[in-house]
Amino acid sequence: MRNDPVDAERRAVLVVEDSDDDFDTVVEAAGRAPVPIRLVRAANADIAQELLTLDGSSLFAFMLLDYNLPGLDGLTFLQQVRRNPLLAGMPAVIFTSSANPYERDAFYGAGANAYHVKQVQHSDCLRTVDAIFEYWLNRVALPGRPAPPSRQQRSP
Amino acid sequence: MTAGNRLPVPYSIKRHGISLSNCDDEPVQTPGCIQAHGLLLALRPADLVVTQASENCERWTALPVDQVLGKTLSQLVGEAAAHSIQRVISTQALDGNPCYAVTARLPQPAGGTSTVDMDMTVHLADGVLLLEMEPSGRGPPVVGQDGDYFSMVRKTIGRLKSTQSLAEFCEVVAHEARSITGLDRSMVYYFHADDSGEVMADARREDLPSWRGLRYPAADIPRPAREIFKKIGVRPLPDAQGELCEMVPLLNPDTQRPLEMTHCALRGASVMYTEYLQNMGVAATLTMPILRDGALWGLIACHHYTPKALPYPLRSAAEFLAQITSLEIAQAELREHLQYRLHLDAVHLAVLARAAGDGELSVASQPAPGLLDGIRADGVAVCQSGLWLTAGLTPDEQQLVLLAVWLRERIDQAPDRLLTFSTDGLAAVYPPASAYAALASGVLATVLSRHADSTLILWFRGEQMQTFNWAGNPQEKPTAVGPQGPRLTPRRSFDLWQEQVRGRSPHWKKVEIEAAQKLRRMVMEQVVQRAERLAEANVQLASSNAELDAFAYVAGHDLKEPLRGINKYVHRLLEDAKAGRPQDADRLEWLLRLTVRMDTLIDALLHYSRVGRLSLDYTDTDLGPVLAEAVEMLGARLAESRAELRVPRPLPVASCDRVRVREVFSNLVSNAVKYNDKDQPWVEVGYILVQDASAARPRPDSTPDEARDDTLFYVRDNGIGIEDRHQDRVFAIFKRLHAQDAFGGGSGAGLTIARKMVEQHKGRIWFDSQSGLGTTFYFTLPGKHPAKGAAHAQRPG
Repeated sequence: MRNDPVDAERRAVLVVEDSDDDFDTVVEAAGRAPVPIRLVRAANADIAQELLTLDGSSLFAFMLLDYNLPGLDGLTFLQQVRRNPLLAGMPAVIFTSSANPYERDAFYGAGANAYHVKQVQHSDCLRTVDAIFEYWLNRVALPGRPAPPSRQQRSP
Repeated sequence: MTAGNRLPVPYSIKRHGISLSNCDDEPVQTPGCIQAHGLLLALRPADLVVTQASENCERWTALPVDQVLGKTLSQLVGEAAAHSIQRVISTQALDGNPCYAVTARLPQPAGGTSTVDMDMTVHLADGVLLLEMEPSGRGPPVVGQDGDYFSMVRKTIGRLKSTQSLAEFCEVVAHEARSITGLDRSMVYYFHADDSGEVMADARREDLPSWRGLRYPAADIPRPAREIFKKIGVRPLPDAQGELCEMVPLLNPDTQRPLEMTHCALRGASVMYTEYLQNMGVAATLTMPILRDGALWGLIACHHYTPKALPYPLRSAAEFLAQITSLEIAQAELREHLQYRLHLDAVHLAVLARAAGDGELSVASQPAPGLLDGIRADGVAVCQSGLWLTAGLTPDEQQLVLLAVWLRERIDQAPDRLLTFSTDGLAAVYPPASAYAALASGVLATVLSRHADSTLILWFRGEQMQTFNWAGNPQEKPTAVGPQGPRLTPRRSFDLWQEQVRGRSPHWKKVEIEAAQKLRRMVMEQVVQRAERLAEANVQLASSNAELDAFAYVAGHDLKEPLRGINKYVHRLLEDAKAGRPQDADRLEWLLRLTVRMDTLIDALLHYSRVGRLSLDYTDTDLGPVLAEAVEMLGARLAESRAELRVPRPLPVASCDRVRVREVFSNLVSNAVKYNDKDQPWVEVGYILVQDASAARPRPDSTPDEARDDTLFYVRDNGIGIEDRHQDRVFAIFKRLHAQDAFGGGSGAGLTIARKMVEQHKGRIWFDSQSGLGTTFYFTLPGKHPAKGAAHAQRPG
């Protein structure tokens, strides 16, 4: 099951991540993917919200979301995203260092699509991100673009 | 009479007697005979003509009985006496109520009058007017003057009311009865629940032995006799061995029924009773019932060893005493019960007070009061959580376990919700108990709840091996063959018999059963309270566990972040080395930075965890120098920021831990300076004294709002402010509101630690902020010494 070719432009991934080191790991994984992947980074939830509000649903295939963010945390941010009908269907893949089962379940309860724990072993961590990209960009049929009443087309 | 009654009708004791098999059916109300010392006439109320007369009437009327019948009242007693009697008839309610009418001498047929003064009383029974006549003046009036009851009543009531126990009360009654009647012995006789009797007290001629404590089987005073005592006030028998005189005719011509003689003082006594008395050597008796709430409580029984005239005034006085006794007995019992109840309450409260500590109900008396000191019992057993505690005489544990199963089921099936069971004869309802009937014929049991393992409390009473002094062995009714065939003959001997009533224990009193129920409720309350405390402790434990859990995950999360970075750079350095690429100095610097950051985090974590566990060192501290030290510690950072420190007025003295408060100031000032983007940053540190003249010292457990002499400190800045939506997160550990490197970074533990320290001082910390304009942190410190105990309670292990 492959993505529709017309959706090629939607191959951007929104990475909500405050840690430079962790973002660097994501960049490294994206860099070694067979097909180029566009990454858009938001260092906190406010920036992510702004990016999504512009035209999130058409721009991003999915978002990679950390829990521990400065200011608004990842879980509250996800709940906020899910309340927006235009963004409710957008896949959200959680990528966090927390293995706390309560947080994990809270994320799933809030509508997360997958929950991954960041491993300390760098090579393991890379393979996890590889797998996320492979699955969410190549294996999954993404939801269709919702048609908002007045949509201001934004050039990619 | 009931169907199947084998006694002849009309009946006369004199002619027919009584047989062993029907003594409970004896027609004691219609014996057909009177005692020979007086005469009885039955008159038709309508015309006052005599319809029946006792066969002995000739002795006083000088007319044979067949000539007395058909005479009018005035023909027999004379005009004057008849007039007095008629006045009584027309003014008094006579039904079942003998009233004294007159004392007069009877006119003789030969002219003149008899030489004997006759006391005459009248009453109505079964529609027949009964006129009783007894010779008076055979002995002086006993109570001062006739009718001087007032002084007697006042004296007697005073004595009765001053008694402290039922035993003492009975003693007074017995003595009063003897002093009024002058008979050889007077006793207070009590009917137990099984109708057996016990002599509670006796007053007697000096040479006579006491019968106090003697028990009599129920059969000694048969049911018909007990029934009569509920209706009459006094029962005289001046000569138990005297002859009986039949009524002529036996059947009343108007009613066609035997004469109803319940209320006749002259009524002929049962042959069984008179034989019984004869065996005791008793010649005369006077008996008065003691009624309590309409039920026969007991008797005042007076015995004399020679025939004794019991004239009307004496009988009235004795009857009056019995009535006073009846009125006072309920009070006396109440006093007795009250004392016993107070005693039971005191013991049970003491047992509960001890149980409050370890939850264990103590049974034995030593070292402190146990259950055995309360309800009178030979043994006590308590089963708590499957463990048995016993004191005194009880069945063995194996027997107890089986008994408990039976009792729980029995109590569970009881329709009431009292969860209590009692019996005087356990073996009769639970046959296995016959094996240990000597130890436990009586059991009083209560369970806390219907749960199979809930606490069970048992009191045991042994078989009546307390060996009551049975007056004669009730199981051995000696019979002698008389002229009428086998006849009941009362026991020949009143020597003490040691009678053990098989399988029966003394009765459990109402007050004892109620005390057991009350104890159950009190234990229940204690259990509920303990459960509530446990539940509360569990909630606290659960919440502190949850906190610890969350803390561990947060700490793990934050500590792993630099670790991941380190792993990554080492990984890359390794790859570079393998590929022969030159080393990248930047990466090595990153590595160093990450290790330093990791170090900072670990330090903060250790610091935080120790803050919660160390006790405070309270001293009255001048906070001015403390703030100065805090600022000095910040040193370079403050100088770098060019921030201005404003202190509007010198800080006060507070009772606090100097080092902790310095860190609170240091953290707050550091934050104020750090999160500031203004050209002219400033920090203001001040205080507001919250005083309320009416408030006393703050209680150790008071909240800051209640502790009116708390000092409120504030640290205000003109920094970036905190958005409302982040309010909740500000104090969370390792929580930064801004990116790692923004505003100089930091561990994210500073405010968490500050809050912990303020809370340790029983203070409170909060803030007020306007985004972009500045923030004010407030915290309170106690103005005086808070309870040191509370603060020192948390010593590190």
